[in-house]
Amino acid sequence: MARDEFEAERTTYNFVGTRPDRPDGIDKVTGRARFGADMTAPGMLHAVILRSPHAHAKIVKIDTSKAEAAPGVKAIVTRADFADGLDGENWNILENVMAGDTALYDGHAVCALAATSMLEARDAAKLVEIEYERIPHVTDVDKAMAPGAPVIREGADDGSVPAGMHPNVVRYHESGHGDVEAGFAKADLVLEETFKTEATHQGYIEPHACLGHMGTDGKGELWCCTQGHWNVQKVCAALLGTETSALRVTASEIGGGFGGKTAVFIEPVALALSRKANRPVKLVMPRADVFRATGPTSPASMDIKIGMTKDGTITAAKGVFRLSGGAFPEAPMEFSAMCAFACYDLENVLQMGYDVMSNRPKQAAYRAPGAPMAAFAVESVLDEMCNQLGLDPLEVRLKNAAKTGSKASYGPRFDQIGLVETLEAAINHPHYKAPLAEGQGRGVACGFWFNHGGETSVSLMLSEDGTAQIAVGTPDIGGSRASMALMAAEVLGIPYENIRCVIADTSSLGYNEISHGSRVTYASGLATIKAAKDAVNRMCQRAAAKWGIDPDAVYWEDGYAKPSGPNAGEFDPMHITEITANMGATGGPINGHFEATPEGAGVSFGTHIVDAEVDPETGHTKILRYTVVQDAGKAVHPTYVEGQYQGGAVQGIGWALNEEYIYGEDGSLQNALFLDYRVPVASDLPMIDTVIVEVPNPGHPFGVRGVGETGIVPPLAAIANAVSNAAGVRMRQLPASPPRILAALKDRDAG
Amino acid sequence: MIPAGFEYHRPADVASALAILTTHGDEARVIAGGHSLIPMMKLRMAEMGHLVDLQDITELKGISVDGDTITIGAMTTQHELITSDALAEAAPIIREAALVIADPQVRYMGTIGGNVANGDPGNDMPGLMQCLDATYILVGPDGMRPVAAREFYEAAYFTAREDEEILTQISIPRPAPGTGYAYEKQKRKIGDYATAASGVMLTVAGGTCTSASIAMTNLADTPIWAEAAGAALVGSDLGEDAITAAIAAAKDAIDPVADNRGPVEFKMHVAGVILRRAIDRAIARAG
Repeated sequence: MARDEFEAERTTYNFVGTRPDRPDGIDKVTGRARFGADMTAPGMLHAVILRSPHAHAKIVKIDTSKAEAAPGVKAIVTRADFADGLDGENWNILENVMAGDTALYDGHAVCALAATSMLEARDAAKLVEIEYERIPHVTDVDKAMAPGAPVIREGADDGSVPAGMHPNVVRYHESGHGDVEAGFAKADLVLEETFKTEATHQGYIEPHACLGHMGTDGKGELWCCTQGHWNVQKVCAALLGTETSALRVTASEIGGGFGGKTAVFIEPVALALSRKANRPVKLVMPRADVFRATGPTSPASMDIKIGMTKDGTITAAKGVFRLSGGAFPEAPMEFSAMCAFACYDLENVLQMGYDVMSNRPKQAAYRAPGAPMAAFAVESVLDEMCNQLGLDPLEVRLKNAAKTGSKASYGPRFDQIGLVETLEAAINHPHYKAPLAEGQGRGVACGFWFNHGGETSVSLMLSEDGTAQIAVGTPDIGGSRASMALMAAEVLGIPYENIRCVIADTSSLGYNEISHGSRVTYASGLATIKAAKDAVNRMCQRAAAKWGIDPDAVYWEDGYAKPSGPNAGEFDPMHITEITANMGATGGPINGHFEATPEGAGVSFGTHIVDAEVDPETGHTKILRYTVVQDAGKAVHPTYVEGQYQGGAVQGIGWALNEEYIYGEDGSLQNALFLDYRVPVASDLPMIDTVIVEVPNPGHPFGVRGVGETGIVPPLAAIANAVSNAAGVRMRQLPASPPRILAALKDRDAG
Repeated sequence: MIPAGFEYHRPADVASALAILTTHGDEARVIAGGHSLIPMMKLRMAEMGHLVDLQDITELKGISVDGDTITIGAMTTQHELITSDALAEAAPIIREAALVIADPQVRYMGTIGGNVANGDPGNDMPGLMQCLDATYILVGPDGMRPVAAREFYEAAYFTAREDEEILTQISIPRPAPGTGYAYEKQKRKIGDYATAASGVMLTVAGGTCTSASIAMTNLADTPIWAEAAGAALVGSDLGEDAITAAIAAAKDAIDPVADNRGPVEFKMHVAGVILRRAIDRAIARAG
């Protein structure tokens, strides 16, 4: 085989690390990009989903007779139109996609219909008569696990829950090492505090949308905006009772996901309606439904206890994390628990998580699910301890920082990691030394996320003119088409502009896990590099055959096959275009392929610095300055990496200060519109400064670590610390809205 | 978020617009920038058979400052208010208030006429117009009539305008030279309606307040011109006692309701803070 220079760690790059134009830019600014709602098909019907107005209610009767007789109506579906006999997560997904005998939250889908026009569908929806019998509800995570709380689902406990707990507690997690009580005994200061965060929504601008067409033969096509179309294929096939391969799914361009489009909500409904009507069915969620019925984060209630010596050494840390994933068992409480103390090298650590059901929508992932809330609680306690002991908060973090070889709070030993490097960069950043005025405060925080590999397939196809196409299966939610093209360009030695990366449909490529877990640049990137090397090997073989030498005596450099030395013979380097131009005659098309479940996703750490000003009279907070420092391993396209960092900070600012799910006494969501669910916009924000630290990940050929999620872990904590330091009162509940800040000041002044 | 069906009209002059309104009565509504009405239509909180778009009526556009009177056409956008040099010189408080309305995209489309005529208590211009003692010109089938901004608002979305009338123009007495002014607004974030907002105009001579006008926004179901609050300042030295009395009077006049911006007690508190800041800033600018 050809000499493989890429097995050695690379330190210099021709393409990786540059900032070329994004390949989807012109599509997006000219409107040529096709998002979920842009798909149409001849004879297409329009669908409407009817949703429960009640937080918790028995569905006594659904009478569709009047709606069926309405003009234009072609199909109506209820739970009876989906597969029965499901279990496990597929059953939970179906239970969320279409309610069974009970509506479990405000906005729970109960019935759907399709008609020849949107207006007819909406008019007909008003004719469906649904009789509910309201039953007691609970939306608060603490109240949901208190004695006497209404039970959401009897017997949902997975067997891990300690005896005596409320049946709404359905899963329990415990991890850690050492002896925390012995550790607390060695501390000079022990602090224990309780924190709460509300649910927030990912806030993607594009609502969920799909177009499905399924025949009575069970074969179907589906176009949808999703972060993972193989998962959509698998889940839809199960919920509809058909074979996975009978359904072909194409992912549209995606207008934001942030984890929220890893779940299946409307696609099986469109397909069930289509199967019944034998017509294509388009389904676009109204914005209010997106808020009411698609994945918010879990609300969290947390107790943190930390012991510290006078010099800032943490002697023990303990955390309890109670999260609700809505009326379904899947709140990411184990991620909260496992990430909470992962930044620190601790002798004694114990963390426990409780998954609590309540009458809320089924939670979905939102960048580093579970971790931002845990960081808020832990980093707030650390900040308070530094204040009380008169210690520098970054120096204390550096003193306790996890390093290469440290035993992680959640079990394994860390491979090469870059937390110390981010802390040192933050300490030396001019921001950390800048003066603050009266009424202003500075907050810092660290954050950790695991990152993920996952099942991955990539194909790379060469054209006769020496250009290349890459087919990946991970929808591009953060610039991955650009980074794939850069990594392939690096291997092939051809210009970035000569490579087009597309997201293949489910029938054109092997299985690909969802674009989640910050895995795409890592795992699809690794597979792209390997696929490109596969193609390079084939090209070296063609050159060797032409020269009549051993393929092992040919290597690839900057787009040329070259003889590896004088012993190999004297031949002019052969350019890629010479090889591809004749490939039909020299052995056939040249493609590269790679598939695997790579296990080397390097964990990632970040450190954030925030300055905030709090108006003590109105409780209004202004973010003055923000700096993100994060380890990217190797930044393939630094502009996108900076964008990920900035986006994490901005979403964190919203979560910390403004965004929250507000439930009324009746359990209905009070702010299911962007008017009342306020996400930050550019004019609310300072420029978010970024520092890319690069400590290579040994598990990736170019050292890449995922960067998509870690950036949202520190902001809640860093902002809460800045606000607390500015206002002079500790904010233990988020969002730190003006009424909450004023109430905290009033409580403090009242003693 | 799809409005019900409607007929769309785009007349070129006020007479044609009035004719459409007269024909269809309360089935028809005029639309200016559309930033209040279109969302209401999409939420199905407003439904009408006929939509009368005023954007082609050139006589409804423009700003003029003529002697003691400022005249603003109803179809003048917030952006045009912000960029008018004549207005900045004659009544800079209008620019200050327009700059805190929504965001730049909204301000390019949103008009002063739509903002004041719709009767939305969250809008900023109605309170400001009351503060400035503006007069609205209404044109209907029976001719033209002026209505004072301070008498225009009856309840949320209910005003003195009749269904077949169009608000065509706003007339504002030019503030005396040296008038102190401020429009202060607290909002959750850019683009939001006010949690509390306040407009203040006052004049000072020899250390004594000679005139004062105070209006409050989004703190009742109409804008509130707090006459007693202004009166509490007039004749005073604008010291702490007078300001405290003015704030107390303004708080008496408002009636906020709890919503996602906060509870009533919080809004009353913020209203007091915002008004104090507006008064302080107006005093600092008076000369």
